[in-house]
Parts: sequence; structure tokens; C-alpha cells
Amino acid sequence: MHDSTFKLTLRYLVSILIVGIFVFPIAWWGLTSVKPISAVFDKDRIVVFDFEPTLENYRVTVLGYSKRGSKEDGKTLMGTSGNNSYDGRSSIVSSVIVAVGSTLITTIIALLASFGLSRMQFWGSQGYLNWILSQRFLPPVAIIVPLVFIFHDMGLRDTHTGLIIAHTLINIPIAVLLLKSFMDDIPIDIDQAAMIDGATRFQCFWMVILPMVKGGLAATAVLCFIFSWTEFLLSLFLTNSIRTIPVKITTYVTSTGSEWGYISALGTSAILPSFIFILLVQRHLVRGLTMGAIKD
Amino acid sequence: MSGWLRSCVSGTLGVRTVKAGWGVSTTKFIEENMTMGSVTIQNLVKRYGSLEVLHGIDLAVEDGKFVVLLGPSGCGKSTLLRMIAGLETVTSGDIAIGEQRVNDMHPKDRNIAMVFQNYALYAHMSVRENMAFSMRLRKTAQAEVNKRVNWAASILSLEPYLDRFPKELSGGQRQRVAMGRAIVRNPEVFLFDEPLSNLDAKLRVQTRKEIKELHQRLKTTTVYVTHDQIEAMTMADQVVIMRDGVIEQIGTPLEIYDNPYNLFVAQFIGSPGMNLLTGEIVQGASGKMFQTGEVTCEVPQDSKAAVGQKVLYGIRPEHLQASMQGSGLSATVTVVEPTGPEIHLYATLAGHEICAIAHQRLDWKPNDELKLNPMIEHVHLFDAETKVALPTV
Repeated sequence: MHDSTFKLTLRYLVSILIVGIFVFPIAWWGLTSVKPISAVFDKDRIVVFDFEPTLENYRVTVLGYSKRGSKEDGKTLMGTSGNNSYDGRSSIVSSVIVAVGSTLITTIIALLASFGLSRMQFWGSQGYLNWILSQRFLPPVAIIVPLVFIFHDMGLRDTHTGLIIAHTLINIPIAVLLLKSFMDDIPIDIDQAAMIDGATRFQCFWMVILPMVKGGLAATAVLCFIFSWTEFLLSLFLTNSIRTIPVKITTYVTSTGSEWGYISALGTSAILPSFIFILLVQRHLVRGLTMGAIKD
Repeated sequence: MSGWLRSCVSGTLGVRTVKAGWGVSTTKFIEENMTMGSVTIQNLVKRYGSLEVLHGIDLAVEDGKFVVLLGPSGCGKSTLLRMIAGLETVTSGDIAIGEQRVNDMHPKDRNIAMVFQNYALYAHMSVRENMAFSMRLRKTAQAEVNKRVNWAASILSLEPYLDRFPKELSGGQRQRVAMGRAIVRNPEVFLFDEPLSNLDAKLRVQTRKEIKELHQRLKTTTVYVTHDQIEAMTMADQVVIMRDGVIEQIGTPLEIYDNPYNLFVAQFIGSPGMNLLTGEIVQGASGKMFQTGEVTCEVPQDSKAAVGQKVLYGIRPEHLQASMQGSGLSATVTVVEPTGPEIHLYATLAGHEICAIAHQRLDWKPNDELKLNPMIEHVHLFDAETKVALPTV
């Protein structure tokens, strides 16, 4: 079928419009991060491109230099230590440690659990699945207070390990369910063929099933990473000195005003690690990985 | 690629031209050393909770035989096959492969290979890796692996596809890869679970022939499950007909076709199916006759059917000689189906719907009168109550 030029143009216009709607806030955010403060707050007009670009915001938040001519030098704000309370370096490191750590642990646990739930028949397997799902019924805000006490007593409060465990707990149910659905798509015949070929249950998992759910694993990892990267509530309550990026950014909203330049600079920088992570796994995010295994 | 292997296989699959050279002897060596195993099943029962699906199966498959388990859906044939494979547990009874009882043996230790209906290929592995997988698990030396994979590929004409992935192959090629995966490791028994069901009609006929040739070549004991009677008839050394978890009859395809043990077998085998008329045996002038309504016809005089006995009179369509005039039973044509080599004539005879096969291309039309002459030596009589074939004296 040949579409008319009009149809084609219309299709492109609509696509551009939709992409524009999604990209605009990010672009504006990035633009704000390189604007001097005078351009961010111009009472008379909206400054788009006619400003002197500056990397000052990045210099302070990402590279940790002191704010030029700041009176706040040396002051401690909301638990951040050091000379520069706007230094976001440690929070970037924390975010990376927590997100990577929790994603890794979540996917390993979920992978094994979903294999068991998908492939093995045991008493109460269906009930067990519902129980896993029920762990997501309660919003984190409902369990945050007991969690703080428990973590405090266990010495996990304000540690990377603690936050990794918390994020893992929240992520596991959805990761298990997601991975199980990917595994359920692989017919049991494949396992049986492998078993007849001489594979043990573990070899079957490791050499046959795992490579076939690679796409699902990548998708799950991305979801877990994004959750952990953007999670706010647990990070806020369970940490004091360790600050993940979402929590750190809120400290830029102070009683004396909001540092929009810094907020946008750290926010823009925060896109980068998750973007790199997704780039790394996205080549595995292919559909139809099991294509050809069976008659579709 | 191993030219020496290809040289052993002439154009047609399985037809081998023996030429001089070390390659030929290697191929022969592989084929001559393929182990063979019998399968013995004794009083095998399978229960799922309170539901019994196999009620005491006894079956002996001899070394090197091609046995087809045939029956309608849900008759337990696949369950039986999967129990031989070790994919289902045995509730009671025994399964032995060769001399060894295998009831509690893991599938990998049974030295069997199975081809699944949906191929069950490893999608992330190339054809070569798929075929080599079992040997890789057994840590076979790489040279041996290569030799065997190349050998299997040459037999199945898969050489050009060895480095492709399953998704790049057609259905027929995928099924051949599944077979290749089975033959490379020289199992005692091949198990096929409806391997042709997913192929289109033409490919099914071709693959059927290939499987048969493969068996003729390798002579490995084969148990093959299907619900397609044509597959069973064309491929099997022995057909095992199953219904509701019991074996109805075991025999060569022609034995089963010519002497069905009971009504179920008679109806299940043959297409179009056997004509069946309900009636009774009466005493006629020239001996015992079969009567249904106004119609009477001759029955084999050596039949044990007694006068007055309610019976089913069975005759296959090709054993009803149809003509447009002359003597014979009068029937009225309802539908004419020309198939090319023959014409299927559907007609009503004394209220029964019957089918006859005519080989002459006469101008048959609906509502024509048809004269039918049953070939008496091919008449089957079944007891109306027990549905079992009545023996001859």
C-alpha cells in the first residue's frame, strides 16, 4: 500500500509533535542547567537561547567546587558534610551503589524464584505466587515507620547495604512476576528436551532457559534500576548522611529559596547513569528471542 | 565441510553409495555401532490423583522395530511415550529398555532421544550447537562431536544450515534439526511425539518418508505417537491402537486393516471409514444371511455368527463394487466426490448412509440408482453387543 504524501507528512508531523511533548521538559531542564541565575529568573521575559551559557551549576554540584562568593561555604545543610553543601558527588556515588546493588540482587533472586515458580510444581505454588504479589499491595509509606525501627535496630539505617535491601524488597515481587511470565512463554518441552539430552535441572536453567529469557532479564533489570534510581521515600527515611540523588535534590530547596540552577544541573546529570545502564542492556531488549524454538 | 560424508549419501536421503576411502568406513562404523534396544512394558498404570489414564498396558517393542502408538486424543498414547522417556512418573508396572528396568531412572540415563511435536529447539543456539548439545553435556571430545554432527547433518541434508539459528529455518528444516539432535548421540530408542502435526500437508508426506528412510537406515528401535492413521499405516512395522488408556489391538498395519479386532479399530482405521449396517443373521436358502430392513446380503459362511444374532455388518468402501446397472443391492447416490484416482460415492442403503469407492469414471450423479455388490471375503461381522469381531470357524 502506498500512502499519499499528505498522509506521510501528517504522520511525521504527529510523530514530531508527540516526541516534542516528551522531549521538551528534559531539554528545558538541560537548558536551565546551563543558564546563569539571571536568565532563570527574568521577570520580564522567558529566556530561551539568548544568555551567556555557564557550567557553574555543574561545577558546584557535580565537580564539588565551592559556590563562588558564597556565604554558605562551610555550612552544613541537611546532613551533608564538607564545605560545599551543594556537592552532589557523594549522592551520585550512593545512587549508583544502591541502584546497581539492588538491581543485581533483585534480578538474581527473582531469576531463581521465577524459574522455580514457572517450572516446578510444589504444594502451594499458586498461593506462594499470590503471597509474593501481595507484598506490593501496601504502599511503602504504610510500612516506612516499622521499617525505620527495624533497620535502626539491625544497624542497617544510614548504610548502603540497608538501602539496597529496602529497594530489593520492594522490587522483588514485580521482578519475580515479570520474569515468571517470560519463563512461562518458554514451553516446558524445551526443558524436557534438554533433560533427555542429558542436562541436570541446573544445567537446563543455566544453559537453556537463562539464555532464552535474556530479553526478559534485561527488561526486569531496567525496571528495577529505574525504580531504585528514582526512589525517594525509603531513601529519605532510611538514610541521614548517605543521600541518593532524589533526596539530595530536595535539599536544594531551602528556606532562603530554591536553587533552580543546581537542581537542574544535578537532575540532568542524574539522567546520564541510568541512560548508560539502559544503553548497556537495551541490546538484549529484543522481542521474540524464543522465536524458532517452537512452532509459533 | 566433510565431503567424504556427503559422498556417502547420494541425492536421495538414505540411499548410500559405498565408495572406497576412509570416510566411508567411518560412516559405516558409526551406523553399524548404533546400539539398539527393545522396550518392554508390563502392566503399566498411570494415575493423576484419582484419575487413571493408563489401565495396565503390556507392550513389547522388539529391537529395531518401528512401532506406532495410534489413537484419538486423550487415549493415553502421549502419556505412555512420556513415561518411556521418563518425563512422567510410573504409578505401577514396569518399563524396561534393553535389559534394564528404567522406572526410576532419570531421562538422561535412559539412552533415549525424543523428537517433540513443537520441535523444542534451543533458540539461542545454532543448528550445530543444537545437535552438539547432548554431547557437550557428556563432555565428548570435540573431534568426535564434529564428526557426529557432520554425519547427522549429511543424513538429514542439513549441511548448509549448520551455522544458522532455528528462527532462520522453515518448519520442515526445524523438524529435521530436532531429528538430528536425536540421532547424533546414538540412542537405543527414538521417541517421536506427533512430530509431523505442525507441518503442512505436503511437507508432512515428505518428512514421513524421510523418517521411514532414516529408520530403515539406522534400524534404531522407534516408538512413534500419532493420531493420524495414514502416518501409522505408512510408517509402522507394528501399530498399537489405543483407546481410553487401554490397548485395543496390536499388529502390522495390514493385519489391523484387514482384521480389526473390534468395532473401534475397524472404524478408526481407513478413510473413508468402514460402512456399518446394523441388523441380524437370518437363515436364507443358501445358508446364513445378513438382514437389515428389507435388504439381505450374504455373509461369509465360515463365520461363527449364529442365526438370530444381532450383528454389525462391516464392509470397507473399496470392497463395495459399484455399478450403474445389473444385479446387486440398490442404493441411491447422495454425494459424488471425485478424488482423481477414484470416485467416492455416498449413498443411502436401507436407511444407512454408506460409501463406495468406484474406480471407473462413470457419470455418477446424485439421486442415481446404484447397484452395490459387497466382496464377501472382505465382510466383517461384529457382535452388536460386545462390538467385538466375530471369528471364523
